[in-house]
Amino acid sequence: MGPLAVNDIISPNTNFFLAFVIGIGFGFVLEQCGFSSSRKLAGLFYGYDMVVLKVFFTGGVTAMLGLLFFSLFGWVDLNLVYVNPTFLTSAVVGGLVMGAGFIMGGFCPGTSFCGAAIGKIDAMIFIVGLFIGVYFFAFGYPMFETLYKSGSMGSPKISTMLDLSDGVFALILVVIALGMFYASEWVEKKFPREEY
Amino acid sequence: MKSLHYLSLVLLILALIIALVPQNTTRPYKLTAEQLLTEIRTGTQFISPDEVVDKIIQKDPSIQLIDVRNPREFDMFNLPGAINIPLQDILSEKNFDLLNQGTKMNIFYSNGSTEANEAWLLTRQLGYQNNYVLQGGLNYWTETILNPDRPGTVFSNDEIAKYNFRKAASMAMGAGDAAAVVPNSSGTITPKPGLVPVKKKKKASGGC
Amino acid sequence: METTIKTKKTRYMNPYIGGVLLGLVLLAANFISGRGLGASGAIKSVVVATTQTVAPKYAEKTKYFKEYHEEHSGSPLKNWLVFQMLGVIVGGFASGALAGRLKFKVEHSPKITSRRRLIFALLGGIFFGVGSQLGRGCTSGSALSGMAVISFGGIITMMAIFGGAYILAWFFRRNWI
Repeated sequence: MGPLAVNDIISPNTNFFLAFVIGIGFGFVLEQCGFSSSRKLAGLFYGYDMVVLKVFFTGGVTAMLGLLFFSLFGWVDLNLVYVNPTFLTSAVVGGLVMGAGFIMGGFCPGTSFCGAAIGKIDAMIFIVGLFIGVYFFAFGYPMFETLYKSGSMGSPKISTMLDLSDGVFALILVVIALGMFYASEWVEKKFPREEY
Repeated sequence: MKSLHYLSLVLLILALIIALVPQNTTRPYKLTAEQLLTEIRTGTQFISPDEVVDKIIQKDPSIQLIDVRNPREFDMFNLPGAINIPLQDILSEKNFDLLNQGTKMNIFYSNGSTEANEAWLLTRQLGYQNNYVLQGGLNYWTETILNPDRPGTVFSNDEIAKYNFRKAASMAMGAGDAAAVVPNSSGTITPKPGLVPVKKKKKASGGC
Repeated sequence: METTIKTKKTRYMNPYIGGVLLGLVLLAANFISGRGLGASGAIKSVVVATTQTVAPKYAEKTKYFKEYHEEHSGSPLKNWLVFQMLGVIVGGFASGALAGRLKFKVEHSPKITSRRRLIFALLGGIFFGVGSQLGRGCTSGSALSGMAVISFGGIITMMAIFGGAYILAWFFRRNWI
């Protein structure tokens, strides 16, 4: 049955409309969890507020389990779901650069839009920075191209690489995530906390 | 903290279930049994050797011959330009893009037509298009193309034209590259329905 | 004092409930469109669209835009992520309005000036912009959506993002604590 758009069950325009609806849900949840506040987000890196970790991993794990159950019931064909391609070197370097951006700016792209939507001026400036960054990448593309395309590995799943079934890997990830949640509850008690 | 306990409980139970049940690797069939039966009865999947040889000699880029016999048999003899996908590999992931596409006519062949037809049946049931079967397989191919019977005098002009075509084709196949000798407007060829445009099975395109 | 903190805490949703809701949104995206969420992809689309409008000749010649054009058909703005990001703005605004958080302000630690906060926000944005292109997605597009489909690249990117931020956290501590 699913994914609906790939299997032509819904038209491209309906798909775009649903993208908008999904976006509303995404933005609403992010804002409700406090992701519109850079100080709350940055708390993750200083231990005073671990909300990012909790929401992020709960979300990832829920969606992962959901997809696996949908596949089990035959509701979605996982072969047709997009899996991000892996360019190892590019992913690691890009991730580190994003990490630097995160600690300086206090936002990531999705959350900055949320912050800007409720009037955070720092979030708007962060978005301006994002555009500059992407332009910089686009114009300096010849300079980045080798790096951008290095370490190509196709679109592997971790479970395949570890020779585990998706389900077993999901269980491992769930256990890791829950471990981190209990650890972060402990960390939050240890560091002083205030609400923003 | 209380919510975390509930969450842990639910997630762990779900994760245990998903870890213990076997993965669902079945691919849904796209055609119902009735639809498939209709196609089998009309036999639209078959392509005559005459048509195939014509395309081979024309070096028609729109066909792809697929040999579904085992690799040993493939090495001993195969048709020009054919690739080998043994029947047992027909569902393998790596052949997906080759079999489910909209740019070429895939023509399966085997010694008889049974295995090739089985390959077609499987792929068709999955909803793939543009796959065909060489009628009669290699056995009929050798009979008609490589060693055509000379028709007797009582045969119609049509039969004789067919013979001439096959004779020429046989030489062309033997000589390798003698396309010039083949009359290409042979009236015996019934045109097949052309390519069915298949929308590229786009996994939705990239993230950022 | 204790009570004021308690009432303040309820301003935001319980993170685990929020996380489950986020997961359901992501699941819906995958079920409906066969893809995850994303943010930086929308920025990329806007960048490509503006360049094609403002400097079409340049866009035609430059490799980055050519490669984008090869991978995506149609107008760069008619893109799934662009519609999704418009939704994010609407959703974020709605949530902020409901919770009474709509207010223009520069949020920063009391120890630093607004100016300093804005400079760092800009710098952070630039870094994140470049990084998201290299990483083929940001925290949402690559890390979060990647986790849902157990993508190796997604999880590597996620670890690099958080790892990078933790490594540098000490240097920027003055901005935050």
